[in-house]
Amino acid sequence: MGLDEKIRQATTRAGGSRPIFLVIAAATLVILAVVLFGLGVLNRIPLEEFADGSVQTWLSIGIVDSLLIVMAWGIWNRKDWARITFVMLLVIALMFIFVQEIFTLFSTIFAGESILSLGEIANSLVASLIHLVTRGAIPALSLFGLMKTGSEFDVSAGQREFVDNMVRYLLFGIAMSAIIIVFMIIFFTMEEAWESVEEIGLDNMLLGTIWRPGSIIGEVGQYGLLPMIAGSILSTFGAVLLGVPLSIGTAILLAEVAPHSVREVVRPAIELLAGIPSVVYGLFGMVVLAPLIREIDVPGNNGFGLLNASIVLAVMIIPTVTNIAEDAIRAVPKSYKEGSLAMGTTHWQTIWNVTLPAARSGLIAAVILGIGRALGETMAMIMVIGNSIAFPEPLTSNPLTLFLDTARTLTGNVAVEINYAAGAHRSALFFTGLLLFLMIMLVNSLARYLMRERKA
Amino acid sequence: MTSIDAVSTAIQDQEITFPASLRKRKIQQRIAFGLIWLGGLAAVAMLVWIVGYVMSQGLPVIDLEFLTTRPAGGVSGEGGMSTTIVTTLYLVALTVAIATPLGVGSAIYLVEYAGESQLESPLVRRIVRIARSGVEILAGVPSIIFGLFGFALFVSALKLKFSLLSAGLSGACMILPVIIRTTEEALLAVPRSYREASLGLGATKWQTIVNVIIPAALPGIVTGIVLSVGRIVAETAIFWVTLGGSYRLPRNLLSAGRSMALHVYSLASETRAFDKAMGTAAILIITIVVLNLTINILSRRLTARSQGR
Repeated sequence: MGLDEKIRQATTRAGGSRPIFLVIAAATLVILAVVLFGLGVLNRIPLEEFADGSVQTWLSIGIVDSLLIVMAWGIWNRKDWARITFVMLLVIALMFIFVQEIFTLFSTIFAGESILSLGEIANSLVASLIHLVTRGAIPALSLFGLMKTGSEFDVSAGQREFVDNMVRYLLFGIAMSAIIIVFMIIFFTMEEAWESVEEIGLDNMLLGTIWRPGSIIGEVGQYGLLPMIAGSILSTFGAVLLGVPLSIGTAILLAEVAPHSVREVVRPAIELLAGIPSVVYGLFGMVVLAPLIREIDVPGNNGFGLLNASIVLAVMIIPTVTNIAEDAIRAVPKSYKEGSLAMGTTHWQTIWNVTLPAARSGLIAAVILGIGRALGETMAMIMVIGNSIAFPEPLTSNPLTLFLDTARTLTGNVAVEINYAAGAHRSALFFTGLLLFLMIMLVNSLARYLMRERKA
Repeated sequence: MTSIDAVSTAIQDQEITFPASLRKRKIQQRIAFGLIWLGGLAAVAMLVWIVGYVMSQGLPVIDLEFLTTRPAGGVSGEGGMSTTIVTTLYLVALTVAIATPLGVGSAIYLVEYAGESQLESPLVRRIVRIARSGVEILAGVPSIIFGLFGFALFVSALKLKFSLLSAGLSGACMILPVIIRTTEEALLAVPRSYREASLGLGATKWQTIVNVIIPAALPGIVTGIVLSVGRIVAETAIFWVTLGGSYRLPRNLLSAGRSMALHVYSLASETRAFDKAMGTAAILIITIVVLNLTINILSRRLTARSQGR
């Protein structure tokens, strides 16, 4: 018997014993939950009127309510539908009580200038526990009781199939969450950016070289993004120049040359490098690299700028590039290497003439992903690049001093100004974000294409 | 012309070059390997330099008072970091609570259900393919874009203001692909025989997933969650545009706050209290190291489990 047939059996059996008004009631409940949720969220009901905790109540109950009712409807005509509904409600109630208690407890402990003394902490801890127990006792006990009685309910085969099927649809919905978020990101960024496209014009933003949001009333703002595009590209270029040879070297070392013991040390080190917060890199650039770069005797060099940014970015892309490059080198079939070595080549000749060319697309993908990472980096960039809105130019006649000039990246442009921008200015910042998003999408899909080609 | 003649003319015309002597090639190899070792050492040296510097500057700042007093706020840079620790904990709990059900659920569908294509219509298969690419795209989105998105949707459109909830929802979007990918890997590593045995006993697919597959994949799933905890602790850009940056302790989900990473940024860029920034950065690095160790232990357990038995 096919699964479809079983499901049909299960559902018809369900439909036969179920009065239609119950289904209608369930549907009404679903609609009600959604409407309530929508109203609460969209602020048709002024949220401020509900003091502190109530808004949380609205949101959490709104979200869970709709899910709950869908579940309840699915298990409506089963013997234990009520039990499942109650269990879920009780779990939500308990979670809510617990979260509220946590907030209260932590607020009493940490709200002051410094935390309370140990005795007072113990005091408030005990008080919270008592509070928690008294408020949570009834839900917890009934939950316990319901769980206990659960085994006495009959779970028929049809019922299990039905739940199985519902879960399938629920999971299908959940699996869509990632792509829904992607679409929402595109939608909201575009929607916000639209105003600037209409008012300022695409050509003015993409080709303009002056970024001067009209902060003074009456003055018309200028929103040329070219300096930031140049800043992003130059800092990324510098990072690739410095970081990629290092990364590929490390990848070869890890994949081909180093003995096992070295690998055991270097790999976790690289992983750690990937995990370090970008602000720490930024701080390092500010405190250590900037004074070092200031040593270079060029007028106008203050230590912050493209060189500093490139060095910081180079370190930040090392883990990405190294990991993917190492995978690519490892993926080269052993027979290639054996064939080459059997011809009498040295290990290095094999690596250079056989392994690396065979891993070429993977290596390029690694570099491209590194570029994507570098383009998207924000906080470290704000901290070390100087954030000047002028087009980066060489400080002296030597074109290399270009890298000593301050600049601003696209990411930095967004992060520095978004918190206080309004109107066309804000919209232009969203356009900056959209531009960045498109650039990175392009870069990443190129890398993905190359990696897929390698697999094929 | 005989073949020998052909070869000798080729040699004379230098069309065939003989390989360099073994000695020369060995020297070449030694130089190349030397450079490669230098590259690897430079990468590790960078790490040691950064971590070592931050630790040496930061650790002396850290004492009980630093950990238990609240930042003074403003441009003074005085005070400790107690509220930022608590806010970071709140954020981690919130993002993980939001992203884990979605991420694990997505991964379960993509691995356990989407594979049985004979049951699904071509439309469903196409949607699943789009959903998969959605995960890939999301994994490559830079954090400032998540911040912008959170700012537009949660902070502005939904009127949640700068708050824990806005930041948590935006952060959850960022860690979603991390959890999906690691869970997918963990599920794929569960032997087929487990599924077959469970289904053979008459369990439904969902019963099999809950009682057999998820317990077997649990270390992998937990690895993904720990990984995303690390991402949240380290994240700054998203929270810079969604969390508000108040140094006070958030009293509920709708009040603003400041995470540890954000505190480092605020101290470094708005005040001149670099010592306090270093102290906070040192705490951050210690947290990341502990999380990385946890991941290593977990994945070791995972491989041990898959090799043993």
